[in-house]
Amino acid sequence: MIWFQLQSLMGSYPLALRGLGMTIALSGISLVLGTILGFAFGVLRTSGSRLLDSAIGLWVDLIRGTPFLVQIFLIFFILPELGVELDAFTAGIIALTNLAACFICEIVAAGIRSVPTGQVEAALASGLSQWQRMRQVVLPQAMRVSLPPLVGQYVLLIKDSSVVSAIGLTDLTRVGWLVVQRVPNGLLVFAIVGIGYFAVCYPLILLARRLERRMSAAHGEVQL
Amino acid sequence: MIEFRGVNKWFGALHVLKDITLSVEPREVVVVCGPSGSGKSTLIRCINGLETIKDGDLVVDGQRLGDRATNMTELRTEIGFVFQAFNLYPHKTALENVTLAPIHVRKIARAEAEASGREMLAKVGLADKFNAYPSELSGGQQQRVAIARCLCMRPKIMLFDEPTSALDPEMISEVLDVMVGVAEERMTMMVVTHEMGFARKVAQRVVFMDAGAVVETGTPEEFFSDPKTDRSRAFLSKILRH
Repeated sequence: MIWFQLQSLMGSYPLALRGLGMTIALSGISLVLGTILGFAFGVLRTSGSRLLDSAIGLWVDLIRGTPFLVQIFLIFFILPELGVELDAFTAGIIALTNLAACFICEIVAAGIRSVPTGQVEAALASGLSQWQRMRQVVLPQAMRVSLPPLVGQYVLLIKDSSVVSAIGLTDLTRVGWLVVQRVPNGLLVFAIVGIGYFAVCYPLILLARRLERRMSAAHGEVQL
Repeated sequence: MIEFRGVNKWFGALHVLKDITLSVEPREVVVVCGPSGSGKSTLIRCINGLETIKDGDLVVDGQRLGDRATNMTELRTEIGFVFQAFNLYPHKTALENVTLAPIHVRKIARAEAEASGREMLAKVGLADKFNAYPSELSGGQQQRVAIARCLCMRPKIMLFDEPTSALDPEMISEVLDVMVGVAEERMTMMVVTHEMGFARKVAQRVVFMDAGAVVETGTPEEFFSDPKTDRSRAFLSKILRH
């Protein structure tokens, strides 16, 4: 029986690969965009403008305080009502990028705030401009603090990407749902889906652990 | 070079600078002393705009602070500031610390900046520490890098905010020696310190502050041998007793 099911599963491997590819593409693009946006938000939050700080803070709280599924539905079903036509993939990218940016913003802002004031004062006193202070003095030190939680956050976001199956994207999770209709062994099918996610996330988990260990030893900038 | 005219500053309800009027001439070395909390650090932090003043005029190198026309970032490039806690950049080597501002602010070519950076580090006695990170240096060495970092900008004014207060006793003299060297090159200097030996050796004037006000100014000889106010006498008896 199991043998028969396994054989039948083997037959669906092209679909499984497509699902894995979709999960990786969606997460990869969203994490890159989300990181860029998250850094920009994090820097803006700590730039000294109270208005910007509270505006970004409110948005971050809003996103962190609502389920990702609800956010995806809002983007996928509400935006077209307003005349913005979206395919599921774009909607997924927008939703996941936004979620990533919000979490990464908080990690980056916390890292920036952890840099001692004396560092900023020293940079200020030697005449560095605001951007130079950020780029040369503050961010490299903030990164030391931020990098391990940042990589940890990536793992969480990759797993959150499974929610996009709800709007019909054929990612790893949805492939599981499709296959289980043909091969009625949920345990087996979703164990394999789980292994798929783990294969993507485990290297990142190892990287985060390695970075954390380096952090305690290094005096300088973090080198990957 | 530096002129305070009726400067006042408050931290909330605390009146930290009370009607300060004081001027420092070019190439003059002025030592500021006084009990802790007397406002001496705040006083020199105002000069490069790390603190802002509430009222009165503060003119530095011909530019009035707080004026629209005064570009604070530009003015700061002419003013070296040495901190009590050194504040070296921990992620950069000694050489990178001293060349950062010359390269990025002064736009000096890297090779040239590094050559003069090495020269400056050698001058403060750290010829063998170019590639050391701050965490690998002693307090005295870190403070000497910090002084070299300021000097590499070829400033017109050097400000020192208790540069030896965070140091172990045996490291104080190596830093003071470097400061004496800077003073002998006729730098305009304002130094907040309790190192009275240093004051006697290089200062043209000593300013004594208490509770946010300048209580007494005079030459080191006048101030140490014949203090004019009760407050300064009490202060000197405490720090010179040992």
